[in-house]
Amino acid sequence: MILLAKAALGLGTTIVLAGAYTMREGVIRIDVDEYHAGGSHVHMWVPAAAVPMAMHFVPAEHMRHVSYQAREAMPILHAIVKELKKYPDSEFVEVDDHDQHIRVRTHDGRLQIDVDAPDQKVHVLCPLSTIEDVTTQLEEHGPTA
Amino acid sequence: MLNRYKVLFARTALIATAVLLLSPLGTLAQATAAPASSSQSTASASKDRWLHVRVISSDAKGETVRVNVPLELAEKLLPAIHQDRIHDGKVKIDNAHMNDVDLHALVDAIRTTKDGEFVTVQSNDCDVRVAKQSNHLIVHVLDKENSRKSEVEVKVPMKVIDALFSAGKDELDIVAALHALSAQGDTELVSVKDHENTVRVWLDSKNVTD
Repeated sequence: MILLAKAALGLGTTIVLAGAYTMREGVIRIDVDEYHAGGSHVHMWVPAAAVPMAMHFVPAEHMRHVSYQAREAMPILHAIVKELKKYPDSEFVEVDDHDQHIRVRTHDGRLQIDVDAPDQKVHVLCPLSTIEDVTTQLEEHGPTA
Repeated sequence: MLNRYKVLFARTALIATAVLLLSPLGTLAQATAAPASSSQSTASASKDRWLHVRVISSDAKGETVRVNVPLELAEKLLPAIHQDRIHDGKVKIDNAHMNDVDLHALVDAIRTTKDGEFVTVQSNDCDVRVAKQSNHLIVHVLDKENSRKSEVEVKVPMKVIDALFSAGKDELDIVAALHALSAQGDTELVSVKDHENTVRVWLDSKNVTD
């Protein structure tokens, strides 16, 4: 009985701690649906904390290559994310057409981009802290680093 | 006696495990109650100055565009952009497109002049009025050429214009202009009304469009 209880306590604690650590920053959600022949359908839910963690395992050569390709956009992206964190719940862009709807906003500290059009639907939800972590890591591998 | 403690310990351990496993539900419940905290952040963000752009099209499609930009964000973001003519929050003006008009001298002249009307045109086609009034430069154009009238009104604080031309001779300092704009009270900057579209650009402290 005691052994069972100890095992249950250990397992429970491990599951909760691992779950809490993995999900502490929420999830990155990407949904893309293209409604035409050969159109892609991508649905992805990834724990946000896992992305910067996984980036540590990417070979430095690849990181340098990506960082070099994104070198012009990097300062802008970094500035955007840093500033957006000050506005965790705000509407930035909203376009309503007859049959299209585009929205860019932050909600609970996450960047949310929604595009609803007759031929495609795109929904992206990503914690700002994750984008900041990713840009920081890419900058660390940049040519100026 | 010892056996009793063992059972008590086992029960405590099981209860603790159950609580630990159920705790994510509590976190979920807190997450659903998040609007309270998010409304606080909205309130804190509302202290900032926001530039709003709204375009409403009255055609069959009924398109609406709403853009809300915190001035502080724009101020911090612009210096990071280095593209073509934009560098460090400043835009290079090509002299070739200025028709030899010395903009700095023009702005200086307007600044030092007292309030009044600089240009007034009234014709069958259109009315144009350029004036300085209460430290604001006002441009008003009423196009009467078409059967459906269109009206444009631009009202810019003089301090913003000063800041805009505060950089070098061939440069516009956008960041300085935004900074000057953020010190202004709630104001409407641009208003365009015609038979198809209504455009409004204004400044206030709300992070949402009306």
